Amino acid sequence: MTTATKTTKSLVTLNNIKKVFFTDDVETHALNKINLTINKGEYISITGPSGCGKSTLLSLLGLLDTSTAGTYQLAGHEASDLNRDERAKIRNKEIGFVFQAFNLISDLSVAENVELPLTYRTDITKVQRAEMVKDALEKVDMQHRANHFPSQLSGGQQQRVAVARAIAGNPSIILADEPTGNLDSKNAQMVMNLLDRLHDQGATICMVTHDPRSASRAGRTIEVFDGKIVSDQITEKPQAVVA
Amino acid sequence: MSVSLDIKYAARLLAKKPAFTGLTVLIVAIGLGLTLYTYSLLNSLVFTPLTLNNDKPIFAVESQYDYTHLSRRPADPFDLYKLKNELNLLEDLGVYQEGTTFVGGSDATTAIRKFNSTYVSWNIFEFAGVQPILGRGFSAEDHFEGAEPTVVLSYDVFKHYFQGDESIVGTMVPLDAEPNRVIGVMPKGFAFPSIAEIWQPLPQDSVAATERTYNGVQGFARLADGVTPQQLQAAMNAYSSELSTTLPDDMRWRINPEGKYLSVEPFKKAAITQYFSMFMAMFVVVFLILLLACINVGNLLLARVNQRFKEIAIRVALGVPRKRLVLQMLWESIFICSLGGILALLFAAWGLEITNQVFADTYAVDNLKPFWWNVEIDGNGLLLLLGAIVAMIFITGYIPAWRALSGDFNAVLRDGTRGAIGKKAARASKILVISEILLSCVVLVMACILLTTSYSAGVADYGVETENRLTAQLQLPPISFSVRRNTEFEHADRLKRAAFYYELKDELESQPNVQAVAMMTELPGRGEGTSHYEIEGREAAVYNENPYSNNEGVAKDSWRALGMRIVQGRDFDHRDVGEDVLSIIINESIAREFFPDGDAIGQRVRRANPGYRGEWNTIVGVVSDTFHGSTMRSSSTSYNSYHIMDNWGLFRVNLAMHYTGSQVEAEKTLQQAVDKVNSDVGLYHVQSYDSLIKQPMMLVVAVSKIFLLCGIVAAFLAASGIYAVASNSISQRTQEIGVRRALGSSDKGIMRLFILQASQQLAIGLSIGIALSIWLVNFMSETMIINDLSYVMGMLGVPLLIIFMVLLATFIPTQKVVRMEPSEALHHD
Repeated sequence: MTTATKTTKSLVTLNNIKKVFFTDDVETHALNKINLTINKGEYISITGPSGCGKSTLLSLLGLLDTSTAGTYQLAGHEASDLNRDERAKIRNKEIGFVFQAFNLISDLSVAENVELPLTYRTDITKVQRAEMVKDALEKVDMQHRANHFPSQLSGGQQQRVAVARAIAGNPSIILADEPTGNLDSKNAQMVMNLLDRLHDQGATICMVTHDPRSASRAGRTIEVFDGKIVSDQITEKPQAVVA
Repeated sequence: MSVSLDIKYAARLLAKKPAFTGLTVLIVAIGLGLTLYTYSLLNSLVFTPLTLNNDKPIFAVESQYDYTHLSRRPADPFDLYKLKNELNLLEDLGVYQEGTTFVGGSDATTAIRKFNSTYVSWNIFEFAGVQPILGRGFSAEDHFEGAEPTVVLSYDVFKHYFQGDESIVGTMVPLDAEPNRVIGVMPKGFAFPSIAEIWQPLPQDSVAATERTYNGVQGFARLADGVTPQQLQAAMNAYSSELSTTLPDDMRWRINPEGKYLSVEPFKKAAITQYFSMFMAMFVVVFLILLLACINVGNLLLARVNQRFKEIAIRVALGVPRKRLVLQMLWESIFICSLGGILALLFAAWGLEITNQVFADTYAVDNLKPFWWNVEIDGNGLLLLLGAIVAMIFITGYIPAWRALSGDFNAVLRDGTRGAIGKKAARASKILVISEILLSCVVLVMACILLTTSYSAGVADYGVETENRLTAQLQLPPISFSVRRNTEFEHADRLKRAAFYYELKDELESQPNVQAVAMMTELPGRGEGTSHYEIEGREAAVYNENPYSNNEGVAKDSWRALGMRIVQGRDFDHRDVGEDVLSIIINESIAREFFPDGDAIGQRVRRANPGYRGEWNTIVGVVSDTFHGSTMRSSSTSYNSYHIMDNWGLFRVNLAMHYTGSQVEAEKTLQQAVDKVNSDVGLYHVQSYDSLIKQPMMLVVAVSKIFLLCGIVAAFLAASGIYAVASNSISQRTQEIGVRRALGSSDKGIMRLFILQASQQLAIGLSIGIALSIWLVNFMSETMIINDLSYVMGMLGVPLLIIFMVLLATFIPTQKVVRMEPSEALHHD
């Protein structure tokens, strides 16, 4: 193992990020002085015990939340200064999410779920959208279930659809929050293989997990403890080549 | 033991959230209270058959109700008795006519006073199963021609007018100045057939008619064993059909344009035929409010279940039997609905007490309240309340229990979140919102239309000045004003009666606080269209094309007291007084409609009804328009004409006095003037002009107030219910909103999504609600004129209000969720 260094073009840069939650009289310091750079094409796993702040870190990375202090650059954008709508636009275009609980919308079909983030974009025509949905479903091998509803799918299939939704818009980075947390080992294996494949095809992936087997698949492992990065290591797994 | 634990737990949960508990109990109390109130009201007024001291219900037997004039029509007694004697469908039959009679006078020790008298067939007291407490009832001989005139007194007249002097029985008292022997006193509260204060026997030809007559009586009857009202009505229809080919031409008016004549109706219902559809509409509205209340309470409990979903999931995981879980849910409903039911009982009792007071005030002037109009909660009402509470427990308990049992507990326990809202739950939320929209639309439209209609009628322009105007009725005692019919003195007698009115008018107008005095048979705002007009040379247009018009007698120089004016021709004067002089003044509406060239003066017109043609009258003037009758009634008319009353020699006249200063002083002045000119003359119904106009609508206004209450309640329930349903539904979709935002949807996009969904629900709810409202309003319009403003307010204003409420109810909770950071929304529990 070696300490991570900036070897390629940086996609994400966090400087002195702090996140404090205020509830009544209690202040909870979820993140404290986080400095982190993620390069294009990296496959990162963030690990740590429950409550250490790893999901909060992922929320900040995904612009799902705002930091209490510090700066954040994403794909050349100064994300700390963005308003809610601007953040929504960047989330839509630059970030793909994969959640532990899949978070598919039960009233929408598989294809509609995958299409959902694309419908928020104005630069894509309907025909293009359909093509992108088809491509994404093919990548996760779910095109045959395009017209089914989430309730008709197994957990593993739902997560594959969630991955398809995350990659449909060709985002700069895929953020995965415990993507195998709700799956059995067979389905977990399948989803991890899928993420590996995506990474091999050039995707940047940042994954929160406390499953060592999942974490071991990443090329870089960041360990968070009590809101701080206590370890940031490159593993043996080679990084994908960035064009 | 386990049940007591459940009860304790349910009680603790309710006590923990007093605001929630208070709100739900209040909603239940309002829903149940209004239902109990309306049921008790309608039960007393309509539903409970009038039986008196018998098991069999009493029916009203008379002519078909006249929907054109909104009035009951009497029938020929010959037909009623023929029906009874030949068809054997009636067990018992009696007949009556209602009127007013002046009791007392100059030759009596008591002051003259007007009472509601009912002329009856002798069997009335036997029919009712009630005997006099003093003296005797009528016998068949009391009807005979030449028999001594007799009268039976009500308890109130005996007690208050004759001070309970038992020696009055057997003595002679003046009735309309004619001596009548008091033969009996009825028990307290007895006023059958409706509003009787004294009873007098009908003339012989009305109770034992041997041939067809022009008389009109109403019948009360009990059906023979095994005979249904439908069978009797069918027999009556057959009788009418047969009659239509044999009736003489001058009696064809007995049969209505639909070819029907006689009708049988439950006795109580017949008394409120005019208002029946309004009462039924009220019942529908209250039922809808009860439904609204059920949905709201169910939804509030549902929202609580959603909040407690994890706790329920833990209970399920610990092995609670489903039955037990449902029971626990039901305990909360039982507490809420039972408490609400007790409050409802108090609300309803209070409302009915106020209603009795309103009835008393409404009919205080002429004492026209039917004796059974004393509303109270009876055993049936209590049973209804109990049934409604049980039904409400199940309805309000079932919704949350269903939700509690249909959730994915495993998923909840596994990750503490639920993901997107389930399809069933989403559909249920949509149905709840649509139901709220639909029900509130119907209730508010009905309330709005009734309120604006009654308000418009109250402030309508009747074409007269009502400010500082006092009205009263004058009744001449026949003893002081003789009637010598068919003699050379007949016209002189009429002029003598007219002279009294002019003497009184002069006396009043000489007073410093009196500006002017008008006298008319019916003042503007009262009366209604009674006959068609025929114009000389245009006979063809008499019946079907010409409208009903109102015809009144008027004293000379009456217009200025009412703010009316002659616009063409002249007022009545001495040239119009005389046996063979027939002049008429028409109003502007008739002149404009029938004499558009302005050539009305000098033309001749006459009144014309089926079987009747009046004398030709020459038009001498055109007076400004007024409106006779309530603007809410279809029988009211703006077509009016006037004759000079001198030639009619009226015994009863309405007076309007324009005064200055206080009304109390004006009333004193009026009484003093009457006493000075002739103290035997009856002066009654003294009231302001505004009160006179409002009086025929008082019942409608009272019902409108109930509708106003219903409207406010419905608006409150609808607003809170729609908000609660929308808020609950959006709250359940918080995670979905988080997902959408995580995927890049903007705040506006989320808002648009929910507003669009709300709009779809609005479109469905309002479409059905408006369609239902139109149907109900058309039903009501059979008995009252619904003006355009009311229609616009109801059909446009109410939907706009509901659209605003729904959009606001959607906007506020959506805004709340949208304000959350996506990460917070995603992990929302």
